[in-house]
Amino acid sequence: MKTFDVQIDGETIQAYGATSVGLLWVHADGKTFTIETEKRSRRGKTPGGHANPGEVVSPMPGKIIKLMTEVGADVKAGQALLVMEAMKMEYTLKASADAKVSTVDCEAGQQVTLGQCLIRLEV
Amino acid sequence: MTLSDPTSNQNAPPTSGAAQSAAPSTFTGVRPKIMTLAIANRGEVAVRIIHACHELGIKTVLLHSEADVGTRAFRMADKKICIGPAPTAESYLLIDRNVQAAKEAGADAIHPGFGFLSENADFADAVEKAGLIFVGPRSETIRALGDKISAKHLIEKSKVPTVPGYMGADQSVETLITHAEKIGYPVIVKAAAGGGGRGMKLLRSRQDAQELIPSAQREALSAFGSAKVFLEKYLDRAKHIEFQVFGDGTGRCVHLFERECSVQRRHQKIIEEATAANLKPELRDQMAKAAVTLAETAKYRGAGTVEFLVQDDHFYFLEMNTRLQVEHPVTELVLGVDLVKAQILTAQGTFQIWKQDDLRPRGHSIECRIYAEDPYNRGLPSTGELIALHWPEGPGRRFEVGFDAGDVVTAHYDPMIAKIIVWDEDRDRAIRKMLQVLNETVIFGVRANLPYLKAILSHPEFMKGAMTTQFINSYFPEGLEPLELTPRQNKIAEALKSLVSRSGTPVSLGNSDPHVLNTKSSPWRGHWRSV
Repeated sequence: MKTFDVQIDGETIQAYGATSVGLLWVHADGKTFTIETEKRSRRGKTPGGHANPGEVVSPMPGKIIKLMTEVGADVKAGQALLVMEAMKMEYTLKASADAKVSTVDCEAGQQVTLGQCLIRLEV
Repeated sequence: MTLSDPTSNQNAPPTSGAAQSAAPSTFTGVRPKIMTLAIANRGEVAVRIIHACHELGIKTVLLHSEADVGTRAFRMADKKICIGPAPTAESYLLIDRNVQAAKEAGADAIHPGFGFLSENADFADAVEKAGLIFVGPRSETIRALGDKISAKHLIEKSKVPTVPGYMGADQSVETLITHAEKIGYPVIVKAAAGGGGRGMKLLRSRQDAQELIPSAQREALSAFGSAKVFLEKYLDRAKHIEFQVFGDGTGRCVHLFERECSVQRRHQKIIEEATAANLKPELRDQMAKAAVTLAETAKYRGAGTVEFLVQDDHFYFLEMNTRLQVEHPVTELVLGVDLVKAQILTAQGTFQIWKQDDLRPRGHSIECRIYAEDPYNRGLPSTGELIALHWPEGPGRRFEVGFDAGDVVTAHYDPMIAKIIVWDEDRDRAIRKMLQVLNETVIFGVRANLPYLKAILSHPEFMKGAMTTQFINSYFPEGLEPLELTPRQNKIAEALKSLVSRSGTPVSLGNSDPHVLNTKSSPWRGHWRSV
């Protein structure tokens, strides 16, 4: 794979680069990172992206194992809301801000898809 | 439970046709030569097995699911048979489907890889019944050693210490609490029908025991269909040390020294090495002896691994795995052997097993498992098209890779996409080499755990070799802190924007955004076009 030579502050740096939809992938100085190259509409919270604190969205296809909250409950930032399972591992989804649970749109045992809204919070 | 002696005819299983010479009871070392081998597995291990077959002049058949069409193993195999849709329960785990497909493709033998059906005694039986050779131990060996409780009883007979515990039939809460106190806190309660690290609870006091034992029983019943639990002393600063063993099926067994796999996250190994970082020679000798004795007792055939926990200069038998393990390459590199070729040759009865004295480890080897996950977001799995891949080849560097650039990583399977293995003259050099290789490796299109691996390898406790199975919990409980780009990185990215042209992404795959994978699009359709 070929590298590009870029000039930064008088220094020539070799970097790898490639684009996919909306993202530029860069590898330089031994590290890989991405930057957005265009505005994309997002469906609620995405991994590493800006969170829409009002919606707790499934980050991947999987199955809900356990709900740890209910409608009307007050939750604190970082509090566990539910446990889901995908790719042989369990993940705990947490509240991103202090909030009140306004709706719970899933139940234990349910298969969910990527981006599916699971819980709505009133921040 | 006794392990049957294959050289006696007493317990000969019924055989027919071509299976005659493959039947354990008539094993004389002379078997039909394998001309075609079917691989009942996927990913980098399928590629590994294909490599061994190429070197032995054996034709390959890949038994794959619909989701694994766009993969390296698929492209490398001589014949490909689709055995079902993506979900493992509808493809890779179906015994009859795999056996039928292998037979129809004209295979003489099946290699089960690891995971999936590799330790399923019924599968080994079905393969042999169909007249094919199973590359692995005899089914009765798998059965005897796969049952974790019976394996423990078996090794206790050879006076090898096991993790102290209680496995009795009396499941009343009072009895369990009494035994927990006898063992001495901390104690783990495990579901007898469980596995893979699930359904375990830690008891640190009588109060914990009173509260958590009934809860563990309830959860065991609902998760695994059986409320039966057993207790084990919790070794909270143990090293995971395992011995590779190999047997030719007639009783001749050797050990291929040990590997250390203490760096684990939720019981899933991340980094493994050979030989162990700091292991006293006396302990090594004792464990090696125990491992070989167990294998000899079973007249073990093929590759196996005996796992131990080592704490405070004491070792305890944990379990035996009757299959090839993911981390086998580190053993291969310090000893200069090929375990997969050895497995295949053993299966066809033409393997001259190594002499124990000829096996002498040199240098140090480390393996890192490359997972498609976001290390800055608690290891959340990442899926999408692999836009670009660069594996930096060089002396002492080995790459076991399941995908090429352009392939799509899906959410159906284990997120391990590759393994990077290095060898160098000593452990310090091996660590530095691995850090260098990780710096030079490029994976575009999905998030990968390379930064996480680098942080672990650079940690003082790891560098000293003092890590225990508590290492990840203690130092990386939530993975890595979210990433902030430096000004320099932003400048590099801006400069690159104008230089890099858009990559030619196949339109039918939808977008290749790692954050938003269109799960309705079929990888089959997308890659049909690029083929």
